[in-house]
Amino acid sequence: MLEEKVGPSEMIVHIGPQHPMLPGPFRLNARLRGETVVDSEVEMGWIHKGIEKILENKTYLQGITIVDRICYLAALSNEEAYVGCVEKLAGIEVPERSQYIRVIVEELSRLQSHLLGMGEYASFVGFVSMFMYTIKEREDVLSLLDSITGARITHSFLRFGGVKDDIPPGFRDDVKRVFPNVRKAIDSYEDMYSTDSIYRARTVDVGVLTADVAKDLGVSGPPLRATGVPFDIRKDEPYLVYEDLDFKVCTETAGDVYARIQVRLDEMRESMYIIEQCLDQMPEGPLFAEDTPYGKRSPVMRIPAGEVYHRVEDPRGEMGFYMVSDGSDKPYRVKIRGPVYPTLQTLPPLLKGVKVADIVAIAGSMDTCTSEVDR
Amino acid sequence: MDANTIIDSLSGQFPDDIYDTDVESGIRILAKVKPENVVEVCRYLKEDLSFDHLGCEFGVDYPDRNEIEVVYLISSYDHPVVLTLKAILPRDNPEIESVVPVYWNANWYERETYELFGVKYINHPDLRQLVLPEEMLGEWPLRKDYKGFPNKTAKNLV
Repeated sequence: MLEEKVGPSEMIVHIGPQHPMLPGPFRLNARLRGETVVDSEVEMGWIHKGIEKILENKTYLQGITIVDRICYLAALSNEEAYVGCVEKLAGIEVPERSQYIRVIVEELSRLQSHLLGMGEYASFVGFVSMFMYTIKEREDVLSLLDSITGARITHSFLRFGGVKDDIPPGFRDDVKRVFPNVRKAIDSYEDMYSTDSIYRARTVDVGVLTADVAKDLGVSGPPLRATGVPFDIRKDEPYLVYEDLDFKVCTETAGDVYARIQVRLDEMRESMYIIEQCLDQMPEGPLFAEDTPYGKRSPVMRIPAGEVYHRVEDPRGEMGFYMVSDGSDKPYRVKIRGPVYPTLQTLPPLLKGVKVADIVAIAGSMDTCTSEVDR
Repeated sequence: MDANTIIDSLSGQFPDDIYDTDVESGIRILAKVKPENVVEVCRYLKEDLSFDHLGCEFGVDYPDRNEIEVVYLISSYDHPVVLTLKAILPRDNPEIESVVPVYWNANWYERETYELFGVKYINHPDLRQLVLPEEMLGEWPLRKDYKGFPNKTAKNLV
């Protein structure tokens, strides 16, 4: 409804739905006075897939492949939230070995998501060569994921009460080969980011989100932790074996664009540390509990009636599924609460008063995934 | 803050509006609220019980009971308790006060619930479609008796 408010010497610029800055199609309508943004609004729905409706019409097992498609960068944490809901409703126990494998694949997924998000972001602010560096490391991480799950992006790997496969022989050696390179690469990215004067000029003190505002807007994930709030579901409401693992919640205090990227850099190091601990601590054992009726293949399963909300820490923040079951073989209602949904809503207040050139720097730093917002 | 304290404080403050409370576990609690007073309850939750943000808001359709439930997941950055607050509306004319004045990020959730379930939010700042094409408004596709899935939906979105 921006058109109604346009004053003298003001204009509306539509950015998107197709624009190099955007990770998926959404439209940002900015009302400008000169070069300053007075007001803006976000329009979306270009890739609304109706996943919530589709899930109501699929059996529980079929649903796993659907939730992968919510956001391919976070496919495994979407699966974890979905599978976790069913496990809570049906009271399914997950053996410890399977839990460790899940942590490994989810942290690998976080690693590749941050690598892509960061590289993409660097290209938004004119640092295009950075994208080529990060995509190279991401490819190695994806190969690791591929070797466990059998797919690069949409994995369909988790099962109710376990995982599809054990880690392959030689995986430990691959990790030992890949991680030192990734660590070295992350150090060099940090060097580049902190010394490049143009990059700093475009990011330091740009798009500052304060902790109070971020809390009020319901933001989670790296944009929230960059404001100094140590909120991480892996710590606050531990699922899987995160309680037994040693890792720290990475925070920054500035709340600007630079801090958000810094949080992601630190989180990647923590993810690698978590994976190495998992490989050391992982017990031997079966992937599924001995006497469970739910195994690798359980095409028809009826879940007891009930309602549950299960949330996990996505690469972008709090990913939660609310599931209503009526006792049949299909969920009665599934609500997907994505982390980017509230984050994208913060753009209009955050963009108020900034220059046009900073729109891309700020919107890109949120690491938005439109596919997940539209669902 | 622990789950029982929250429930006691909430039902003590609103004895007439809060009913059917339940503590599912230490971190999940459930309560139903009369639709007329949902804004006052939310304001109390935010200001006195440190439920500082709205996690999610959505609808669930129950055609056999002729009801639509509006569910609020209210959570906090300080404690891991998530409160599931439900308001039950009649299916023929679902209307409820908007909670945007209390929880700012309810804006998009309410727009989405409006276009998918037909729940009308009173005093919402900008109630219009969000993810659907405009011509689909009025079909309420996430209701259980929606006939257009999957063929019509796919055609409309192409």
